[in-house]
Amino acid sequence: MIQLFRLSKSFGPSTALSDLTMRVHKGEFVFVSGPSGAGKTTLLRLIFGSEKPTSGHILINGINLSRINRSKLDLLRRSVGFVFQDFKLLPAKTVFENVALALQVIGYRRTFVRKRTHQCLKLVGLAEKEKAFPLQLSGGEQQRVAIARAIVKNPLILLADEPTGNLDPDLTEDIMVLFKTINMKGATVIIATHSRELLKGGAQRTISLIRGRIVGER
Amino acid sequence: MKLRLWPYLFSQAVINIMNNRLVHLIGLGTMVISLLIFGIFLLLFVNLSAWIEGWGSSLTISVYLEDGIGDHARNSVASFIKRLPDAELKRFVSKEKALSDLRNTLGPQAGLLEGLSRNPLPASFEVLFKEVGGKDSDPRKIKEQLEKFKGVDEVQYSEEWVNRFKDLMKIVRLVGLIIGGLLFMGVLFIVTNTIKLTIYSRKDEIEILKLVGATDWFVKIPYMLEGIIQGIFSGVLALLTLFLAYFFISKEKAYFFSFALLDFSFLPYEYSLAIFLLSVFLGLVGSLIAVDRFFDI
Repeated sequence: MIQLFRLSKSFGPSTALSDLTMRVHKGEFVFVSGPSGAGKTTLLRLIFGSEKPTSGHILINGINLSRINRSKLDLLRRSVGFVFQDFKLLPAKTVFENVALALQVIGYRRTFVRKRTHQCLKLVGLAEKEKAFPLQLSGGEQQRVAIARAIVKNPLILLADEPTGNLDPDLTEDIMVLFKTINMKGATVIIATHSRELLKGGAQRTISLIRGRIVGER
Repeated sequence: MKLRLWPYLFSQAVINIMNNRLVHLIGLGTMVISLLIFGIFLLLFVNLSAWIEGWGSSLTISVYLEDGIGDHARNSVASFIKRLPDAELKRFVSKEKALSDLRNTLGPQAGLLEGLSRNPLPASFEVLFKEVGGKDSDPRKIKEQLEKFKGVDEVQYSEEWVNRFKDLMKIVRLVGLIIGGLLFMGVLFIVTNTIKLTIYSRKDEIEILKLVGATDWFVKIPYMLEGIIQGIFSGVLALLTLFLAYFFISKEKAYFFSFALLDFSFLPYEYSLAIFLLSVFLGLVGSLIAVDRFFDI
């Protein structure tokens, strides 16, 4: 379970999130929506532990992120997959190597890494391009590599920041089916998006943010 | 760190070097030049110390003999000298030899000697003492003993030079320590900063590794291995360059220096090993310091 208590985050004089309290249950599928600058990305980064809150607390399965040391945070991150808006792929590594990296850092055996990476690349439709380098791919393809890297380790929590921003409608649907499948297997999924199309179809819980505050929930 | 991760980490270090060839070449070049400057200083310092020590610890005493000294008296002086510890009877200079040496030294002005009615120069023994300063080779005592011999006119040695020798060595060592220390600090500063720059160009990579859950050591170890590899190559290249430069200079020194007859030797084994280990140490520590700067992710 993810719990946020009176969470605030400021960058200098500007406030990104203000007094946020919310709870996401284990196995839930949640959209965080809002216009650009609403604080969606900051919220995901705080949950991921790559930003520290200015005030308030974040608890992941009862562990307070403000009170754990860096090595414990590293271990916690192994159970969290993150699809970054800017993909964060290593340009000098191939598609296969980028995805495999998430398993290698955990120390899985080489045969397992190879098998699981192939599986994931197949799932996102990039099996043919595993030897390509990120800069040789289109924006949509790079996004799918980032998604494959996030799901390859079967995360307990999947955070995705605008994961379909560069995808066409057909691929968007495929990727959403993929996220839902991961969710069905028990993972908690939180997707930040400003896409109304994405929010239209689903009956999932949606939290709306504007200027760092929760303004609605359905 | 799991044992099976090591081959992966090592291969990552090698791949990283290959992928960042230019950056590593710049780092390597900087390290080689810095170590080379330090090595040249050490080479000069070691040789200078050896030369000064060589000059200072050996002392030549001239024993001037009276004109008309008999063979018996001369032989007893010679045998006394031969019995002295650390002494070497370098040569006997006859009156005629002394005059001819003077004539050679004067060169074109040798004509001045033509007007002499007799040879005014005395015959002498030149005695070389090695390791002067010991209890048994006190120059003052030897001088007093020799002057008591029949037929010995005067005994000369440069007392001032002997007395100042140890002070000079102290100064040379102190200056060497200061310059060497400053150079060492400079090398440390340049090398760590160059490595910092090479790692700075890859800070995104560190960030991504941390974001996918890599532990600190998983990220650090390949960089440390890269630093060690760079250190090994830099150390070997610097020593090799230094040796080649030494080889060339010592072979051609007769054409370059007037002190060609002096022994010019390469760094002792321990100094070469120290430069090599210093290079590896700098590579390792430089990487570690640099990579630590990008860990607040």
